[in-house]
Amino acid sequence: MDFRGIYDRLVAIHAPGLVKADEPRKADPKDKKDKGRAGDPFVLVEAQELARFLESCRDDDRLHFEQLIDLTATDPAKDAPDFWIGVQLLSLKFRHRLAVKALLPKSAPSLPSTVPVYRASQWHERECAEMFGITFVGHPDPRHVLLPDDWIGYPMRKDYEFPKEYHGISCE
Amino acid sequence: MLSLEHSFEENVLTTKVDWLINWARLSSIWPMTFGLACCAIEMMAVGAAHHDIDRFGAGAFRASPRQADLMIVAGTVNFKMAERVKRLYDQMPSPKYVIAMGACATGGGPYYKYGYTVVKGVDRVIPVDVYIAGCPPRPEALLEGLMKLQEKIRASSVIRKPARLA
Repeated sequence: MDFRGIYDRLVAIHAPGLVKADEPRKADPKDKKDKGRAGDPFVLVEAQELARFLESCRDDDRLHFEQLIDLTATDPAKDAPDFWIGVQLLSLKFRHRLAVKALLPKSAPSLPSTVPVYRASQWHERECAEMFGITFVGHPDPRHVLLPDDWIGYPMRKDYEFPKEYHGISCE
Repeated sequence: MLSLEHSFEENVLTTKVDWLINWARLSSIWPMTFGLACCAIEMMAVGAAHHDIDRFGAGAFRASPRQADLMIVAGTVNFKMAERVKRLYDQMPSPKYVIAMGACATGGGPYYKYGYTVVKGVDRVIPVDVYIAGCPPRPEALLEGLMKLQEKIRASSVIRKPARLA
């Protein structure tokens, strides 16, 4: 199934939290300022409904996304109000893929964990949590995965300030 | 009847204690099996047949710090690893030597500015004898570093010098 087909199916099954589809397009030749959009098509969903959305993607007979390839987050800019959550899904049975994105406000970076749906997302969520300070409510093992346990701050945030020293080792 | 006469010339060598001990030390610098990043791949190439670090007596990579004389810090040292590096160094018996191999171990390398968890030089954690430039250094460069270390050992002395009168 191509992206249009997947999106129509998601609309047909009333996938929870589905907001819209976003597809790449060419620039309008009449409008000089319009640069179009590159990249892959994705569906935008509400962050709080992300886990339930993924569950419906996984369990639907026609979509059958049995594998979670990636779950990650992005901090687009220092003054941007939201994080982006990005999820890549793959259906081995039908050989189609889907990119899912969600906006998560920086003021309240918390959303339900997707581990009950895809157990593969455990480490991905732990990494998002330590790098961006995003709380995944209901995560079974919310420890750091890469950073030391006593690390202060969230390094992948654009407004992160580097530590001056760590355990007596100077960082200057 | 056995005679000891004229038998010492053939069987006894006379030398200096410093020379003998330094020769023994620099001819069998056993490194620790210890690699942190891509520099370790070059270190493995040095250990393999083509470059053959065994020519310099340093081919016996020991799996335990207790048996090692040399720590080749081959790669990026981050804060999480720095404490382990320190512990391994402390576990090595004296005399012990450290080679900082490559840009990362020498001074942070490409992670100097934005590497939030990278120690900017392993000499902030343990004392370093020889630094090797390169990212990663070629195998010949590591052999050069090893020879520099051998020169350093050759120039050292085990004899305690008598205190000078003021």
